[in-house]
Amino acid sequence: MIPNGIDQTEVTRILFQDFTPWMVALFYAYAVAAIAAFVWGVYVQARKYLRGVHPKSIAWPALTRRAAQAAYVIASHASVRRRDRSAGWLHAAIFYGFVLLFVGTSIITLDHDIAPVFHARFWYGAFYLVFKLTMNVAGAALIAGVLYMMYRRGWLRPPKLDYARPDRNPADADFDRTSYRIEDWAFLWTLILIGITGFIASGARLVWLQHEPAVWQTRWWSPVGAMVANLLQGLGFDAQGAGILRMALWWTHGLLALTFIALIPYTKAKHIVTAAATWLMRDPAAVARLPQGRLDQGSIGYKFIGDLDSRYLLQADTCTKCGRCHEACPARAAGYPLSPRDLILTIREHANRELGEFFPRAHEPISLIGEGVAQIRPDTLWACRQCGACTEICPVAVEHVPLINMFRRTLVDEGVMDPGLQRTLGAVNKTGNSFNESRRKRPQWTKQLPFAIKDARKEPVDVLWFVGDYASFDPRNQKVSRAFAKILHAAGVDFGILYEGETTAGNDIRRVGEEGLYQELAHGNIEALAKCTFDRIVTTDPHSYNTLKNEYRDFGGVYQVDHASAFLRELVASGRIALKQKLDYTVTYHDPCHLGRLNKGYDPPRDVIAQTGANLVELARNRDNSFCCGGGGGRVWIPDPPGTTKVGEIRAREAAEIEGLDVLLVNCPKCMTMLEDAVKTSGNEGKFRVLELTELLAEAMDLEARPAAKLALEAN
Amino acid sequence: MKIIVPVKRVASLDDEFEMREDGRDVEPDFCEFDLNEFDEYSIEAAVQIKEANPDAGVEVIALTIGPEDADEVLRKALAKGADRAIRIWQDALEGSDQIAIARIIAKVVEREQPSLVLCGAQSSDHAHAETGMAVAGLVHWPHAAVITHLDYRPGAQSALVERELEGGLVERLELETPAVVTIQLGINKPRYASLRSIKQANAKPLDVLTAEELGLSEAEIGVPGSLSRVRRMFPPDRRRSEMIEGTPAQQAARLLEIIKETLH
Repeated sequence: MIPNGIDQTEVTRILFQDFTPWMVALFYAYAVAAIAAFVWGVYVQARKYLRGVHPKSIAWPALTRRAAQAAYVIASHASVRRRDRSAGWLHAAIFYGFVLLFVGTSIITLDHDIAPVFHARFWYGAFYLVFKLTMNVAGAALIAGVLYMMYRRGWLRPPKLDYARPDRNPADADFDRTSYRIEDWAFLWTLILIGITGFIASGARLVWLQHEPAVWQTRWWSPVGAMVANLLQGLGFDAQGAGILRMALWWTHGLLALTFIALIPYTKAKHIVTAAATWLMRDPAAVARLPQGRLDQGSIGYKFIGDLDSRYLLQADTCTKCGRCHEACPARAAGYPLSPRDLILTIREHANRELGEFFPRAHEPISLIGEGVAQIRPDTLWACRQCGACTEICPVAVEHVPLINMFRRTLVDEGVMDPGLQRTLGAVNKTGNSFNESRRKRPQWTKQLPFAIKDARKEPVDVLWFVGDYASFDPRNQKVSRAFAKILHAAGVDFGILYEGETTAGNDIRRVGEEGLYQELAHGNIEALAKCTFDRIVTTDPHSYNTLKNEYRDFGGVYQVDHASAFLRELVASGRIALKQKLDYTVTYHDPCHLGRLNKGYDPPRDVIAQTGANLVELARNRDNSFCCGGGGGRVWIPDPPGTTKVGEIRAREAAEIEGLDVLLVNCPKCMTMLEDAVKTSGNEGKFRVLELTELLAEAMDLEARPAAKLALEAN
Repeated sequence: MKIIVPVKRVASLDDEFEMREDGRDVEPDFCEFDLNEFDEYSIEAAVQIKEANPDAGVEVIALTIGPEDADEVLRKALAKGADRAIRIWQDALEGSDQIAIARIIAKVVEREQPSLVLCGAQSSDHAHAETGMAVAGLVHWPHAAVITHLDYRPGAQSALVERELEGGLVERLELETPAVVTIQLGINKPRYASLRSIKQANAKPLDVLTAEELGLSEAEIGVPGSLSRVRRMFPPDRRRSEMIEGTPAQQAARLLEIIKETLH
């Protein structure tokens, strides 16, 4: 490793070689200033976050597991690689390059400034050579990664990196995102220049010291530097000229690197630090279990920036504008004025204005909701379907869904909402259902069954079937409910329902932002359930399923809750369901957000489909990337403005692209309502049927008539 | 300065219902109850006057006549911005007709001396549309019925109101105050009362009085105080509608059948 005849202590780099004392002093002064700027920046940012709402002492449930998960996500880059593999891998190159270079610089500092105190220098000989090689690889990785990012931004230009705001008009004062674009490019250029100047300085040093064997004969341990050295020699640089070049590049590299460090807390570079924190504090159930509102407080939702939880302020700062949420958002895709990214950036800008000043001054707080600059518009908040697509894919653990919900709570409290939604909330308040039907009518769908369903209020049952609103009142979904009842009956399941004793579970009432009404509904249902004897709850409605399973426990209702698809899989697996037909349909399956993304119920429905013999062709967007039917977050009650694309139409077209499709399978009453409508309005009526998974199974069991021709709908 | 808003807890019917045994009303089990829709607008009108003049010391008083169940509509009114509520009840009030009810409201009006009484144009269940005007008659105040616009500044001697007449004609009236008006749907956009605000409205004062305490004798209230009484209520005999189902061809065939039957 060390060439013969060379003392290994000579195999090292002499720091500040040939520097005059004032140059060293100048460098240290700049370094101290840069670190001071960094520390001040960290302080200003931390102060900003802490001006949000946070507990006095942070409880860290399962800290080790959280830390391990955060470390895994960061080390593996799993979240950055999702749905954008090349960007993910090259980000990993930048990340690891940066980390290694940072560690390398720290090792040098340790050896030069701290180790001498203990007479323990170690940065020489074999260690030094391996160190050099590692730094060269790291630097090359960094440059390669940044080059790709430049290529991506400059030439590939993926649509998600287009900052045109759907929530603003080009004429609005804050439409322009030029400053962000400048920041993006400045960030890339700074990184790449630090890398390039480092290598040129390294190569120039080699040429400059070409007569020192300890340097020249070991030069290939820094392969990139050695190549640059060859190039410089080829360009005619002699030792003296290279010495001057090295001096110039050394300063450029050093000052750039220190400036970069100084700027970390003030620029997008801060995600280097904050993303680790957001992952550490991430709530994995953020979408499935919304924050519990206190009805006895002065306000119920977020209105001013200081109302926000500190972790949300941190998240807003961490966003790197990667656009994955922007790409995944169904409202954005259909042309609604919402981009989760822009919403987060608006919060960031508002926080910087209101809480992030250098020297805070007392002033009247400005509402975060409004039509002005750095305010979130009510239309933006109402566009959200609470489907969780954004939160699911965010690589830095931003939790958009609960945030939007907290703002909606303020809108509901102030009555800023669509009149149709207001009527629905009034109806739920009055009748306990969103159909404004009398409570007595809830069980009417059961009257057409050839058998009576047990009243769980009067006798014990094994399975308590929580029917839910849409499955009880909507005529199309009533058919599904009857099919499910027939299946359970045929399988000999001991089951019952609450009859008039049930009210809507309230999942979507909560997602609308009517927290008070939600809590009232939850308490009412918990009280009704407490009077019944049952082993488990089953429901065909993923919305009811979600709130019963994840949210009722906050109010004292702890149950074993299963979605119908999981229960049906159980019945099929145990042989209690006899399948009489092998269905020769080509089907596709639309994952309901509340079953899939929110509760990871991806496989049971697919297993049931496989049992029926149907040929499942996946939709382009499936499982965690499923695309909302448009009905989530209470949007099922808010009419889409005329002339707009419906979210469901995009989904219906996606299904229509599947060749030879017989059935679009849904697994949620609201998806049924939305998609059946969307299939018609998108001009695909008659091309395929929209069926519930339950109905497909009923056809395979010969409980429901199969259409004579494969496509009975177009028979006439 | 006070505004009194009389409100009513009204029943809405299911499409299938049964009559009470005496045949004079619907069995309450088949009804859903809520604040009268017209009153949503009168409350909103009152609260808007209050909010537009924050320094005028406007007090909005919601008033209803009914048993304890009726508190829920008062709470809703309080949640929407009324400052206090009054409920009048005693068992002897059962059977009061609209004029007897107006007599009670008039007593409260005399007691509170408001500048305005804002009623809904009618109740959505019984639809007499008389109570408001009867109150005006009993207290001898200026009045206007079914108004579609209201312009009033606290302290002013008059209010400007508009009414919509036949053919879309608008009648603009100047009413000397104190006055009684009844308010048409659509005059404003009633706000939503979130459940949180309804719960928090529990903290606002709600006084319960008897008609006796208002100085009304037994002869002036309930059945003795009413000149009209309900003899019978009954759903009209109506042909059951038929839902035509099946494929478009089957539907067309059935339709043709019906047309032929009707023509014969």
